[in-house]
Amino acid sequence: MYKSYHKKIVASTLFASVVFLGTACNASNDTKAAEKVVAKAAAMNTEGFTEREINAVGPANALISNSVKKTYDHNGKLSVDGGVIYPIVNGKTGAYHVNETAHKTAFNKGKTATANEQKAWDIDVMPDGTGLPEGSGSVEFGDEVYEEKCLSCHGDFGAGSGLYPRLTAGNAEEMHKTLMNQRIDAEHEDGPQRVFGSNWPYASTLWWYIKTGMPHQAPMSLTTEEVYALSAYILHINEMSIDGVEVDEDYVLDREKFLKIVMPNVDGFEPKINGPKGQDNAREYFNNPLNYGNGVRCMKDCFDGEPEVQRIAFALTDFNPPLNPAKTLPEVKEDKAAHPGQGAYEASCAVCHATDAMGAPAVGDKDAWAATMKKGLDGVLANTINGVNGMPPRGGSALSDDELKQVVDYMIGASK
Amino acid sequence: MNKINNVSKKELEVISEVTEQTSRRDFFKKTAAYSVSALAAASVVTPVSVSASSDIKINPEDDLNIVHEKPWSLKFGDDVTVNLYGQPSPYEHNVTRRTTQILSSGNMRASIAVTPIQDLNGIITPNGLFFNRHHGGTPTINPNEHRLMIHGLVEKPIVLTMDQLKRYPNVSRVHFLECPANGGPEWRGPQFNSIQFAKGFMSCAEWTGVYIKDILKDLGLKPEALWMLAEGIDNSHMGRTIPVDKVLDDAMIVWGQNGEALRPEQGYPIRIVVPGWEANLCVKWLCRLEFASEPFYAKEETSKYTALKHTGKAIQHFYANEVNSVVTSPCPEKPWTDLKKGDMVEIEGLAWSGMGTITTVDVSFDGGKNWVEASLKGLVLEKSWTRFSLMHEYTGKPMLLSSRASDDAGHIQPSVKNERAAVGIEGVYHRNAVHTWEVDAKGEVTNVQILS
Repeated sequence: MYKSYHKKIVASTLFASVVFLGTACNASNDTKAAEKVVAKAAAMNTEGFTEREINAVGPANALISNSVKKTYDHNGKLSVDGGVIYPIVNGKTGAYHVNETAHKTAFNKGKTATANEQKAWDIDVMPDGTGLPEGSGSVEFGDEVYEEKCLSCHGDFGAGSGLYPRLTAGNAEEMHKTLMNQRIDAEHEDGPQRVFGSNWPYASTLWWYIKTGMPHQAPMSLTTEEVYALSAYILHINEMSIDGVEVDEDYVLDREKFLKIVMPNVDGFEPKINGPKGQDNAREYFNNPLNYGNGVRCMKDCFDGEPEVQRIAFALTDFNPPLNPAKTLPEVKEDKAAHPGQGAYEASCAVCHATDAMGAPAVGDKDAWAATMKKGLDGVLANTINGVNGMPPRGGSALSDDELKQVVDYMIGASK
Repeated sequence: MNKINNVSKKELEVISEVTEQTSRRDFFKKTAAYSVSALAAASVVTPVSVSASSDIKINPEDDLNIVHEKPWSLKFGDDVTVNLYGQPSPYEHNVTRRTTQILSSGNMRASIAVTPIQDLNGIITPNGLFFNRHHGGTPTINPNEHRLMIHGLVEKPIVLTMDQLKRYPNVSRVHFLECPANGGPEWRGPQFNSIQFAKGFMSCAEWTGVYIKDILKDLGLKPEALWMLAEGIDNSHMGRTIPVDKVLDDAMIVWGQNGEALRPEQGYPIRIVVPGWEANLCVKWLCRLEFASEPFYAKEETSKYTALKHTGKAIQHFYANEVNSVVTSPCPEKPWTDLKKGDMVEIEGLAWSGMGTITTVDVSFDGGKNWVEASLKGLVLEKSWTRFSLMHEYTGKPMLLSSRASDDAGHIQPSVKNERAAVGIEGVYHRNAVHTWEVDAKGEVTNVQILS
């Protein structure tokens, strides 16, 4: 989604007067300070707030409410998202009545999942290699598969096309540095490049994505070798290396090498969620709203002077259907009467003529029918009645001459 | 646009014919051209009252909609066999979800259709207007052939049919679902002069299903299980990782939406609802839950749903949609152009928080320099849309109209300035800064941002 409005936003900034508090950007960047913060006694980080706002909000820890329950019933720990927990009290949770007995009963529904069933559905691939099959594929073969099955959407060398995602922005290490970019004004119009090579923390996600999601119209259709080959190709166009070896045009990727891939942005994410403390790290992070922003409840004279207004610089109005508040009747579209030959066509002829897979001129294929019609209408009708090439007389149907005439008329009309 | 298609041509002809007739007198003038049976039917419907109103001598100040009989009151309406599954009035055909090309990832199967929140009442979104975002199109799943597998770090991995799943005791809860990109195209300035596109990546419904913790009681969750993968069986095989602490709190598997089965585009036959959290975690067409000791790094949670900060680090596993609000009346689609100076008017809006319950909403008329507290209105439920209201005497002077909500978790909506200071302007997701409408002297409403 980001990429889709990327260009538009760049355009808008050139005209917009974006004020950005560059000096306040370090509000939550001090990891040592963050470690000291315990959710319940969070010291409010005041950077980015005016003196007036700080005075309005009161005590430094006013951002955290103490009047509500924020610990789980099942383990007594703080909520992982920083939110409130609503226990069942006197048969109610919040405004909802609860049948507590219903939630204390064991049910044992369903059947045990067999090993085969689990194998059939367990399609995820994790960073430690869980779910990654043995196999291999070359950059060269990946290039072939890419050209055949991926290029039409993802463009030459993964450059993207239309609104389809790019698979590379160039050298992964170089592009990784752009993640610091903020398009704050016309002089900083190069935004962060968020593609596989520069942004993703683990390559396992790439394998999983290709195997279960690509090609978009035919997921789960690629072989293990094709997925390894495409992975190798994508590493190649991101100019990446594995274990010090450049993934060049001759590279052959296999499972062992795949597990040695280290992505440039592996440490680029917070909170740290790996390992036994992963969930607790998330808990600590999200219970400090200063990590992601919060407001103050100032009521009077909250800033000096007149408000600075940023208006729409580049309006997006391509809405489908267009906005329309009117309470009117919809336009009546005339129902196109069905062609008298259509029913017989669908019952007796479409099996072969719906596509060109059977060698028959496909209905809707203008060129194929132009070629067929060189015989003239009478010729085509005669062939239909008597059979031609692989087609038996009357297409193997019991249709009368008149009915066949209507069918032919329908097929020609539908192929103009 | 289905609604339009579902109105048959015949129905429309009947309606058009009806609206063409503007009065009883016209009606009788026209009946000469009608068939005998139509005339007979009309006579049966209105045997007496026809001549009564013809005694009224109409004055210019009379509303003709009152003193003239309406054609729909002079004949049969549809019988009860029409639309056995009901449809909105054809006059409401402009109230639909909408799309825009730039919010799609290439084609309309990996795209979003957003909710016309300008047209909604109360806190429940009708199922046909519920916002719809998916990654590989809407599948048509046969519920008889659909299964839910729960496996991984559990003592007893199981498979449930839909009938078996629905035998668990169910709960119904009102929760909003919000795409974390709601408002995301406007980090660097306003772009949509429309509330539907600026804030309509969300909806709110009553969901019916089973708490996942109620199923897990029977399965023996192993102590080292910290994460749960939820995966769909549609084209995209969408997966997301959910921490076990949330699973054991209030995460649900739902099959009901506002009293009926989930709509196909909402995950029929089943989806997850993770109350208050990013709607993309609420995986649709759910087929599999797997428990593990490490997070899964599923495709969209790496490639898309991370929020890049000005530090160059991105927030991953960004769970709850933070406290937020927007004035829904007025808005660009519902301006104040009909008001006169001195009119009393209700300012109304929606507030919501994925971290808890809305406690206060403040409204500002001067771009956030001074604020007054609005009233909350109607049901105030946790992790649900909440209505707010403030009565206002219209002055006809231009104003900058903003709203600012707080929740019981202690969170307050940041100003645009504060939010940019905390995370920068490249985050894409989780934008919850104070929203402002500029109302001009004519009552027209425009989307703006206040940088003070």
